[in-house]
Amino acid sequence: MRIPRQTVVAAGTIVAAALLGSSSMPAATSSPSSDVAVSVAPEQLSVVGLPCFPSTLNLTMTNTGSQDRYADLTLEPTGPLQLSRTLFSSWLPAVDPDQPVSAPVEVRVPRDTKPGAYKIDVEVDRNRLTVPVTVEPLPSKGPGDNLALGEQATASSTHGNFTLCGAVDGDKDPEHWDTLTGWNDGTRAVFPDTYDVALSAPATVNRVELYTLDSVKYPARLNGLRDWDVQAKVGGAWQTVAQVRGNTLGHVTTTFDPVQAEAVRILCLDGNDHTYSRIVELEVYGT
Amino acid sequence: MPTTRRNFLTVSGAAAALALSGSLPEIKTAAAGWTGRVDRRDPFTLGVASGDPLPDAVVIWTRLAPDPLAPFGGMDRRPVEVQWQVAEDERFHRIVRSGTARTGPEASHSVHVDVRGLRPWRQYWYRFRVNGQLSPVGRTKTAPAYDAVVPELSLAFASCQAWWEGWYTAYADMAKRDHDVVFFLGDYIYEFGIDRGIRPHSNEPYITQQTVTLDEYRQRYAAYKMDPDLQDAHARAPWIVTLDDHEVVDNWADEAHPSAPPAQFRVRRANAFRAYWEHMPLRLAQLPKGPDMQLYRRIRYGRLAEFNVLDTRQYRSDQAYGDGTKAPGPETKDPARTITGDAQEKWLLDGWAASQTRWNVLAHQTAIARLDTKDGPEVLVPMDTWDGYEASRNRILGGAVQRKVRNLVSIAGDLHRSVASDLKLDFDDPASATVGAEFVGTSITSGIDGQDLDPGGATLLRENAHMKFGNFQRGYVSCSVTPQRWISDYRVVDKVSVQGGTVSTRAKLLVEDGRPGIAEVQK
Repeated sequence: MRIPRQTVVAAGTIVAAALLGSSSMPAATSSPSSDVAVSVAPEQLSVVGLPCFPSTLNLTMTNTGSQDRYADLTLEPTGPLQLSRTLFSSWLPAVDPDQPVSAPVEVRVPRDTKPGAYKIDVEVDRNRLTVPVTVEPLPSKGPGDNLALGEQATASSTHGNFTLCGAVDGDKDPEHWDTLTGWNDGTRAVFPDTYDVALSAPATVNRVELYTLDSVKYPARLNGLRDWDVQAKVGGAWQTVAQVRGNTLGHVTTTFDPVQAEAVRILCLDGNDHTYSRIVELEVYGT
Repeated sequence: MPTTRRNFLTVSGAAAALALSGSLPEIKTAAAGWTGRVDRRDPFTLGVASGDPLPDAVVIWTRLAPDPLAPFGGMDRRPVEVQWQVAEDERFHRIVRSGTARTGPEASHSVHVDVRGLRPWRQYWYRFRVNGQLSPVGRTKTAPAYDAVVPELSLAFASCQAWWEGWYTAYADMAKRDHDVVFFLGDYIYEFGIDRGIRPHSNEPYITQQTVTLDEYRQRYAAYKMDPDLQDAHARAPWIVTLDDHEVVDNWADEAHPSAPPAQFRVRRANAFRAYWEHMPLRLAQLPKGPDMQLYRRIRYGRLAEFNVLDTRQYRSDQAYGDGTKAPGPETKDPARTITGDAQEKWLLDGWAASQTRWNVLAHQTAIARLDTKDGPEVLVPMDTWDGYEASRNRILGGAVQRKVRNLVSIAGDLHRSVASDLKLDFDDPASATVGAEFVGTSITSGIDGQDLDPGGATLLRENAHMKFGNFQRGYVSCSVTPQRWISDYRVVDKVSVQGGTVSTRAKLLVEDGRPGIAEVQK
């Protein structure tokens, strides 16, 4: 099953000043002009109510005036939208060519959010632009679906260059490793490491698909996960349901007797380079 | 420097004007009415501080932040007037200066008042008031008169306070002792994101994410400055601060850092500098202009001591041989490379030529003395310390000798270990002249508990004959300086991984007037 990560719209630039005369934004006409151009990418966003599946909005400010300055960009969401930041402040140099300054904001919604249309108001110098946000329905998590997709992950540690949710983001292509699509633990040459995914509700599971790092540059036999236990949390206690040893492959399917699990854990015991545990994607299936 | 197409003068008018009005002493009466909104939240969550004492002046600082980790510290975006008072007594019966400073979101609601007209070498107490709420009381002390004979100066110096790696027990100890002035020598915050830590809340986003934008650097300072031991240490004595790498990003050098091309890095540096100035008790002269900040400066304590506060980050050549720990070579010896930059080097040497004080101190970031980290004949030294800039080091130490600088002492940090060394004219020749003493202080917390002598420290002691003392615990250095001698008291904490660790003296090191280098180590 595939769900759209975000509605892909060309990462175009909206100059705040250019919107001021728009009849759809009457309030803006009374705003003072600004020498800060603001753009967002994508121009509209789709979000789904999974806890480990944020959508990212990239914010850019550019000084179009004649003097260096500092600027504050504030974000005001409507309804249930949860933002990783509501403020982006920066020094903006007045240089030629223009020097755009960017920062990301992650957008999440609670699982029970009603699908529909929401928005984020972005404001600099009292000039406002609005980013439409669509909350999509939750993906199906029935038989045959990946129960781990976007669910809350926790790890023993996460390396600073990686994101915790990277191994449940639906991207299992190891060639995307550098784009934060995987999980890498944060303790070099220290094992074991753990990567857990809490299922949205206890479910009968009997299969785990694990994708470890296996790119052209970093083949699994040199850099992938080597030894691990698959564990299921049953009645609050972890129990080992399968073991994998001496792995050299990028994709490993593990099947085991069906078990009613609240969460699934990969107990990482060693990697082929004996440094880090690396998981590109973890999928969990039931019968 | 990039070309500017427009009238490139300084920071924006709004920000500069605001900082100006917040920094100039406005000697009004405290009765100037407060007519603001009613807000019952405590705005003084980040404490008070003072700094850069002169014989007649000191900077007093606070920041209004009722919700310190929230955008704008929980303040709205209107300007605020803050009243301040300076008194000769702790109970404010004898108020000698008072006024009102204006601040706003452009300055993170920080207040920097350059209080003038004070008497030399005197203790003062200060406080702020806003909306009827009083700040904690801070104690400060002016510098002695320019030509005063000063029988004794007590000072402390510290560095490297990784918040998540432990408790600031060293600061609790520092606050209990009576220091005339405290030097902070860099790594007040750490910019990188971390994964887990010793303290509760170590896994909150305001600690786990790296800081790049101005709002993120401001939030990081707020998180650190909420610590009560750090606030106590600030409130007990004036601080003289300089920065090292982590106030911006790990091992940056001028406009070079692998994380971004120079044009982009300059924006990050400007954001980091702005947040630094806002949170430190610095004068308007140190207010950054975008990515540039005049941080090196000279502060004199009568005829006893002159402190040259250096900035060895902003003007340095990029690290030799790609940074790391390497063998010295043509690149480290290249006379075209510099750790101070040409202007600062000239300023330092000219200042020394004119110096009349008994002690001449370099207060700066990292070790000047050679640190051979490799057992045996092979020499491997850090490229980020003065070892990576040998020609620069030779010009400074050689320049001190040529100018007959009296009693050269270097105080520094960065290494996360205590290291005391003789400074040699030529570190390749153990028989060469000793030209000064260097006291590198350990970290307040960075590196967690450590141990008395780790294998790396044992190697350093074996391989570097000029090194007289080493320790790998956490702590700070407390110094007593008289015209006759300098005593460095290395205070170490048994554990920073738990609250309430025990602080004790690990060693006292002595320098005598007229005798370069370390005269005695008492363990």
